[in-house]
Amino acid sequence: MDFEWTDQRDKGTGSEQDREFERELKQAMERRPAPPNLKRRIMQKRSARRTEQHHTSKIWWQRLAASLLVGAVVAGGFGWRQMEERRRGEEAKQQVLTALRITNQVLNNMNRKLAEHDRSDNGK
Amino acid sequence: MAQRWQPDFLQLVDEHQSMVFSLAWRMTGDRGLAEEVAQDVFLELDRHMERLESPEHALNWLRRVAVSRSTDSLRRRRVRGVDLWVEIDEKHGSPAEERQSPLETRLEQLLSTLPEAQRAALVLRYQEDMTPEEIAASMDAPLATVKSNLHRGLKLLRAKATTHLKEYVRGL
Amino acid sequence: MKSLVAIWVLCVAGLATAIAQSGLPLPSPVEKELAARASNVTEVTLGKNMLAFAAKFLDGKDKDDEATRHLIEGLDGIYVRAYEFDKEGQYSPDDVEKLRSYFGTTDWSSIVRNRDRKSGESTDVMMKMVNGQPHGLFVLDAEPRELNIVLILGPVKMEDLSRLSGIGGLGVLGDLDTDSHGNTNRNKDKDKDKDKTKPPKAKTGGEE
Repeated sequence: MDFEWTDQRDKGTGSEQDREFERELKQAMERRPAPPNLKRRIMQKRSARRTEQHHTSKIWWQRLAASLLVGAVVAGGFGWRQMEERRRGEEAKQQVLTALRITNQVLNNMNRKLAEHDRSDNGK
Repeated sequence: MAQRWQPDFLQLVDEHQSMVFSLAWRMTGDRGLAEEVAQDVFLELDRHMERLESPEHALNWLRRVAVSRSTDSLRRRRVRGVDLWVEIDEKHGSPAEERQSPLETRLEQLLSTLPEAQRAALVLRYQEDMTPEEIAASMDAPLATVKSNLHRGLKLLRAKATTHLKEYVRGL
Repeated sequence: MKSLVAIWVLCVAGLATAIAQSGLPLPSPVEKELAARASNVTEVTLGKNMLAFAAKFLDGKDKDDEATRHLIEGLDGIYVRAYEFDKEGQYSPDDVEKLRSYFGTTDWSSIVRNRDRKSGESTDVMMKMVNGQPHGLFVLDAEPRELNIVLILGPVKMEDLSRLSGIGGLGVLGDLDTDSHGNTNRNKDKDKDKDKTKPPKAKTGGEE
């Protein structure tokens, strides 16, 4: 076969038909336009990922801040119990959010698999 | 002293989203999956922005990762026992009025019947207009292998296209 | 030394009692094995009292906090386990079945049971109904490199659960929507960066 990129030594009795097919293929392979909402989804996911990273980073800072605060109050000997309760409360809140985040992921996985399952059933 | 190129994520998305989407679609044969792959590719780009050295580097990086992610997603689906290559749902394709030739009408379906390596070579060659040398460099594959994949892929594609063309004509 | 052991035994016994009284199950034996094999573990156990306590710190003026509080209000407990593995094959279908049997006692009804024998992926959803209302939700999600358990006890607000992805800070992990051809579109919710911000094997158990 004889295509435009075929090495000279490999060119056999290759024909105009090969070239014609290549031309047709090149035309057929023009890039398809991306779906109109693709960019929006990309930006949304990017933003969400950065929010989560920031949020998780915030958790650590909050914990550090809470711990330092607790330490200062203990050293100062004033309102320790209230601070401790606040710290525990914030931790509990973060645990709730962690649990709900995992729940969200699990439910999304479930929906995705069920949708795939339905699709493969419909394709049969 | 020349200033280091500063990539702009939005601009890269605007410039290359169609390329990435088309690559993914032709590699996977599934429009929905191609959209997912395209999203993943750009999210990965976001994580690697500082490593990009030039617009050409960004373009080649996107091509390579798009092909790689597409084959990964195909393998995951294959492992699940979903046979994608029996029927491609017409609903996944572009609206009919966009189509021109019979080849274009069935292109993604025909491509999906080829082995992945041949498919990748053909898409990079004819969609991206890359030379075999550029494909070999981009995919980190031997040049001879790339040429062999191109050769065999074209031969196979052409044989299948001819058969389908006859069927298409019969179906008109 | 003996006094230390005694204190430890009392703590564990106290924890077990607290969990049992809240209606949440004790961890199954399989979970210990999974945790040993996982590269990343997240465990959250929140009983009724702890949920009520946490709710006090959800700011009513913040709409996300308010949505979260509404969701957890009245619940008897939340039990979540997330195991991530470095490679596939770190757990078996038998492990999944053991977990399912452990959590799915006779008063639970199976709603979804999805198995893919080739990949080993599976999804189990069970509900506990009381007087026609959902009073418990169990989801066991098995993926090649992840295994997740979600158990929610108490009056589960299903409509609030379906809106989870809209609550900020939980990560917009994607929801189902339709593409231009009316097909439901999958959004993979594997945020590959999430673990980079967590220390490995983080245990966040918040037992009472």
